[in-house]
Amino acid sequence: MENNANLSAPAERDVLLEVRNVTMKFTKYEVGVDSLKELVVRALKGDLKREKFICLENINFSVRRGEAVALIGRNGVGKSTLLKIVSGILKPTEGYANTYGRISPLLQLGAGFDGNATGMENIYLNAAILGYTKKEIDEKLPAILDFAELGDFIHSPVKTYSSGMLARLGFSIAISMESEIMLIDEILAVGDMAFQQKCYKKLEELRAKGLTFLIVSHSDVVEKLCDRAIWIEQGHMIADGDAKTIFEQYTEAMMHPAQSG
Amino acid sequence: MKKENTVTRRPAQQMYLLRLLVRRNIKNQYYRSFIGILWTVLNPLLNMAVMAFVFINLFGNEGIALDYPVYVLSGNIIFGIMRASTTGSLPCLVEQQDMLQKTNVSIGLFPTANAFSALVTFGFSFIALLIVMLFRWFAGAYTFTWEIVLTVVLLPAIMLFSLGLSYFLSALYVFFRDLKHIYSVILTLWTYLTPLFYTIDALKNQTLEKFMKLNPMYHYVEYFRDLLIGTVPSLEMHIVCYGFGIAMFVIGYVFLSAVRNQIAARL
Repeated sequence: MENNANLSAPAERDVLLEVRNVTMKFTKYEVGVDSLKELVVRALKGDLKREKFICLENINFSVRRGEAVALIGRNGVGKSTLLKIVSGILKPTEGYANTYGRISPLLQLGAGFDGNATGMENIYLNAAILGYTKKEIDEKLPAILDFAELGDFIHSPVKTYSSGMLARLGFSIAISMESEIMLIDEILAVGDMAFQQKCYKKLEELRAKGLTFLIVSHSDVVEKLCDRAIWIEQGHMIADGDAKTIFEQYTEAMMHPAQSG
Repeated sequence: MKKENTVTRRPAQQMYLLRLLVRRNIKNQYYRSFIGILWTVLNPLLNMAVMAFVFINLFGNEGIALDYPVYVLSGNIIFGIMRASTTGSLPCLVEQQDMLQKTNVSIGLFPTANAFSALVTFGFSFIALLIVMLFRWFAGAYTFTWEIVLTVVLLPAIMLFSLGLSYFLSALYVFFRDLKHIYSVILTLWTYLTPLFYTIDALKNQTLEKFMKLNPMYHYVEYFRDLLIGTVPSLEMHIVCYGFGIAMFVIGYVFLSAVRNQIAARL
């Protein structure tokens, strides 16, 4: 926690990601209303209580170039919301998140692919959604094809792919596009062993090149990849520091919930 | 290094993405079926044939200034722009949620792509209409008029309307997932409340006639048929068509922008 103090020191030149005083509040119905029918029925019953709940409160951290940071914490503590804020999709209620550089997200297996389109078409579509121009994609295409190792299957519809092939394609797109920050949300558990090894190797290679990582996970796999961890609990940052130490504390707390509570 | 073109880069990139999305939609619609893109022409033709057969025999076609097959087909393909655009747009944000959760892309592009693919489909259907007209012309039932080229004046108005409604619905669907069922019923009702295969005069009902004026699709359909008959629509008609179009576009766009953050939180 004392690291916090260091981190809020004047922003340095090579800070790629800055999260300042981020607080996210949601107003939501106490009972999940996600259909019109539900809304009408509840409204008629007078059963529509809105509730403000705080998802994240006063989150502060910055990430420097070349750092690999793991966001850890239990399900539903606001990690995904934080990722959304970092990628600029969600505006926080208070505070701000600035990124200086391109973000490329590594999506879950096959997410965002159009099953009817061929692998090739999906590469272009996916990369275009990520914000790349045709020229940039054309340039990166050989690297993507090379890493994915799909051969002639690249011209077959993606719905005919096996899960391993999907993972290869998705991963290849994410790592081949030129970006400064890579967001990874629980992905490394997929694919066969050989491909996983290849992924890790590639990620380490990219790290050596100075790519910055922000990884959300609760598995200890990231321990290998990350040098820093941020622990989020109930919307608060409760620790920020060396990955190994924090992982130990985290695991300890998860094993003995009573003591930590 | 690439600083010099950062201003033009984003719009150009978005246009590129829009093009890809439109192409994807069109392909998904027909391309991979057996006879491929031919379906886009064949589909409205077959529909028209069924409608013409059924309704000529049921109602007779007195009181319609236009040849009946042309009347049915013209109404349907104009209505089809709105129908295809909105039904495609309704689930489009939710379908893309894996991508939208992690990528800062303008979400408006997805409904926009659906509206434009509906426009492309209209283009193919228009070919079908021309074919029917040609046949009817040989049969002496229809005469071509130059006013048909004024269709390009109508299209921006109906596109604005379709875009606005598509924005609105795609955003609303994120919050109310049962909208799909409700909207399909509304759309059916809307289809029957628009004089696609009957005339408004045939209703012989003053109240209904007044009520019909509130239906934007009625005006777009009538405008199109005016052109096919060979009359240039009045200024008032232009104002009404563009009025509905612009109003819907503003409503849809403002709504989508206003709930953007809630959408991001919900997806």
